[in-house]
Order: sequence, then structure tokens, then C-alpha cells
Amino acid sequence: MKRPPHLLLLLAALLWSLLPLLWQLITSLRTPEALVAPTPAAWLSGWTLANYRQVLLGDPPFWRYLLNSALVGAASTGLTLALAIPAAYGLQQQTLRLQRLLTLLLLAAAMFPYVLLFLALLELARLLGWGNQLLALAVPYAGLSLPLAVLLLRAALADLPPELEDAARLEGLNLWQRLRRVLLPLLAPAIASTAILVFLFSWNEYPIALTWISKAELLTLPTAMARIGGSSVYAVPYGAYAAATVLGSLPLLALVLLFQRQIVSGLTQGAVKG
Amino acid sequence: MTTALQPLLLLLPALLLVAGVFLWPLLRYGWLSLQASSVLTGLVPVPNGGANWQRLLADGRFWQDAAQTLRFAGVSLALELLLGLALALLLHRPLPRRGLLRAAVLLPWALPTTVMALGWRWILNDPHGPLNRLIQGLGGNAYGFLSTPATTWLFTVLADVWKTTPFVALLLLAGLQAIPAELEEALVLEGAGPLQRLWRLTLPLLAPYLLLAALFRLAQALGVFDLIQVLTGGGPASSTESLGLYAYLNGMRFLDFGYSATVMLGMFVLVLLLTAAVLLLQHGWQGRRR
Repeated sequence: MKRPPHLLLLLAALLWSLLPLLWQLITSLRTPEALVAPTPAAWLSGWTLANYRQVLLGDPPFWRYLLNSALVGAASTGLTLALAIPAAYGLQQQTLRLQRLLTLLLLAAAMFPYVLLFLALLELARLLGWGNQLLALAVPYAGLSLPLAVLLLRAALADLPPELEDAARLEGLNLWQRLRRVLLPLLAPAIASTAILVFLFSWNEYPIALTWISKAELLTLPTAMARIGGSSVYAVPYGAYAAATVLGSLPLLALVLLFQRQIVSGLTQGAVKG
Repeated sequence: MTTALQPLLLLLPALLLVAGVFLWPLLRYGWLSLQASSVLTGLVPVPNGGANWQRLLADGRFWQDAAQTLRFAGVSLALELLLGLALALLLHRPLPRRGLLRAAVLLPWALPTTVMALGWRWILNDPHGPLNRLIQGLGGNAYGFLSTPATTWLFTVLADVWKTTPFVALLLLAGLQAIPAELEEALVLEGAGPLQRLWRLTLPLLAPYLLLAALFRLAQALGVFDLIQVLTGGGPASSTESLGLYAYLNGMRFLDFGYSATVMLGMFVLVLLLTAAVLLLQHGWQGRRR
């Protein structure tokens, strides 16, 4: 008796989260005429791939934005991990009181509505000549991601038995060797979770990319999408627009399908244990 | 000697970058908010007493945006917690294809806000969007959802709820999974109904997770920017403009850096006050339960 309403509710939840995306997909495959026809066109006619052709052959072509976002994402993730792994280890060695204080500060930073920071960061970018330098975005992105990354990795470190490191120390391994040979392999799942969350953040970041990058061929996906929405090149009706949405969503769909476990454990571990 | 220093050295680069990204801007705004730095001064900072702050206090648009941002954040947060809790309870059962389900639920959260803001703009398009198509199909007339303040506001909230409920749900799901099953069974044996169990067992044990989700979402919702900028541009007639957007416009469109910094700080104070209020409320609530 209890199952049917439960499944029905679940179905409703799925519809709610997927229907808007489904509509983008359908819109992207319809001809302009079918989209604005006064009466809903027959379902069998009016399908086309022309919208995708238009977006992919645009200037710059759409894949360029995907590539830019992927590059920035990879650079930010690398930089964040390179700083966060040693930092998490270093944090773990501090006095308890200092640990607690730093953890609290990091948690506050992780929650901070970072849109507030863009103006001062833009000044810095101008000072350093980092405007329109795609990879320079990795620096603020790493800075913004570090609080959560350090918290996450430290929570994972705290879960490891302390005897492990003591044993390695007795064997005469130095700090670097201990970190590399003993701790890193054991931290691999937490590192994977952190990496995917940082990558998602930089892939999606908007205000800083918006103010740092103005050259069309250097735009990341979110800024490119906003610009497409604001320009008349892609006129109403929104076939091309929807095609861009679909293309912009596909890499994330793949990431979420592949890494949902890591994403979920990252979100929950980092937040809860911090 | 070196061994005692090593942990600190490992920590330092990360802390410096974090301070550079979070702390420096706040200090810089503090200084900038005491300067006139706009097109009028050729973007050269000139001290102007507390003129920016006086202007802020008397700025009707700032206070209107503050009220709008608060209303947006409050309503979104309430809906996200409610729906997130419902979704978490729904997912907290043995389910077939759990991984796939979680991925499907997560997807809205993972997409860039700007991408889906454009998507919503199409869905709400007057008269060709799917929603108006549906209304017309049912015999109604197309409606300008994004040209009426009330419905525009409603759909900014809806778009935010759509995107961030998965985050809340997954956080609460982790909390649900940490509750020992025996406790629930004990209550069942006592004859407690589902609602009683929710109220007496689940919610109290879930409180830390709810608090965390609330604090996190509150800060993010008060900083709302991407969604508003792309979906409505703050319109119609700046009825959906948020403080984040106002600060952005002051800096990037009106080129008044001094005042933009002042608006940012005003917003920061607001976030601090509200976060403190939530913490105090929670403290009082827990005190009463004990």
C-alpha cells in the first residue's frame, strides 16, 4: 500500500528537475517556423539539426568556450590540490586551539557570497596585467575553492588511524615521503571528491570571468552563454540558444553521471565534518 | 627546529592565497569606501570624508534592493529547506537505480546558473515559450511572465529553488543516513506515527544539518547575482534587482568604484547580521528543547 504514492512522488521530483532540460533539448531540435507557429505544429514535422550547425560554426565556434572552460577548470583544480593537500596536512599538525580557529575561519570563507569580491579582484587583475589571460583565472578560482578543499581533505586525514603515520616515521620516511607514499594513496577518494567539486565551481563561475575576460575567443562557457543571450546574433526564436544550452550542459551531464558518488560525498563530508 | 616549522610552512601558501582573495578585498573596500573614485575624479581615489556612507544611508535604491534581496533570500531559503527535506526523505529508502536517481536529482545544481537562466527565459517567453504554449493549448491567453514584477519575482525564486534544492537535499540525506535505524524502530514499537517520528526523532537529530544548509544557502542567496543578471537584468523597473547586481552596476556601468565598494560593505554587514540572527535563533531553539 505504501509504495505507489512514494514512487509517484519520486517521479514528480524527477519530472521537476528534468523537464526544463528536456524542453531545451526539444527546442534545440525544432525549426524556427515550428517554434513560432501560431498553432502547435504537427509533432512529426519541423525537426532539424540546423540550430546545432549554427552554434558550432559560429565565430568563435561554440566548442571554443567548452575548451576554455575545461582549461581553466583543469588549471584551477591542479592549483587548488597542490596547495590544499599540504595545507590540510599542515593544519592537522597544529595545536587543537589553532586548528579549531582556522577551521572556523575556513568554514566562514567557504560560505562567503563571493560575488562581493569581484571589484577588488578586478583591480588586482588590472595591476598584474591578468585581464584577458585565460589561465590567470585559476588563481582566484583556487583561492575561492581552497577553504572547502582544505576542510574536506582535513576531514579525510582525521579519519586515518594516527598509528599509520607514526609507523612510517619510525621506518625513517621523511615528511615528503610520508605524504607521498602513505597518505596520498589513502586520501585518493577525498582528493577525487575535492577535484570534481573544484572543477564544477570553476566551470560555472560567472562574476569574475565576466569582469576579467572581454575577448570573445577567451570567454568561458557561463560568460559566453550570457553574452549569447544578450546579443541579437542568435535571434528569437531560441532554437540556437537552446542548442547552446544543450551543448553547454552535456559535459556536466557526463560529469554528474560519472562522478555523482564523489560529488555527493564531497558535498556532505566537507560541509558536515568541517 | 625544521620539523616544528614544517607544518606551518605547508599551511602558509594556501592561507596566503585565501587571505588575498577574501580578506584583501574587504580591507580594500574599507579604504575605497572613504574615497571618491569615479569618472568624475578620473578613477583616481580622492578622500571624501564619509560621503559614500552618507549617500548609502539615504540611497532609496540601496534600501529597496536590500529589501528585495532579503525577501528573495528568505522565501527561497524556506522553500529550499522544505522541499530539500521532502526530497531527502524520499531518497532515504532502498531504491532501484539509486546512483542514476541521485545523478538526475543533482543535475540542476551542477549546471552553470547562466545556462539555465537562459533556459528559463525561453520557457517563460511571451508568447512562444513552452509555458505560454501550454496555457494557450488549454484555451488561455499568453502572459508576459517576465514583464510583470510579481510573476518575474516568483520565477526568480522558482529558478533558484529548482537549482539549489538538490544541494540541500543531499546534505540532509547525509544527515538522515547518520541516524541509527534502531532509534526509529524503537519509536515504531512505542506506537509513534510517521509524523510523530519526524518531529520527535528525525528533526532534532537533523538539526545540525539543517542549520548548516540554512547558513550556507542564506549567505549564497543574499549574494544572488548570476541568476538575476541573466534572467531579468534586475527588471522590470529594477523590481528584482539584488544588492549584488546593484554593486556590480555601480562599479562596472556607472564606474563609481568608491560607491560600489560601499555597497559591497553594506551588503557584507547585512550578511553578517543575518547569519548571526540565524545562529542566535538556533541557539534559543535548542535551549528551549533541552
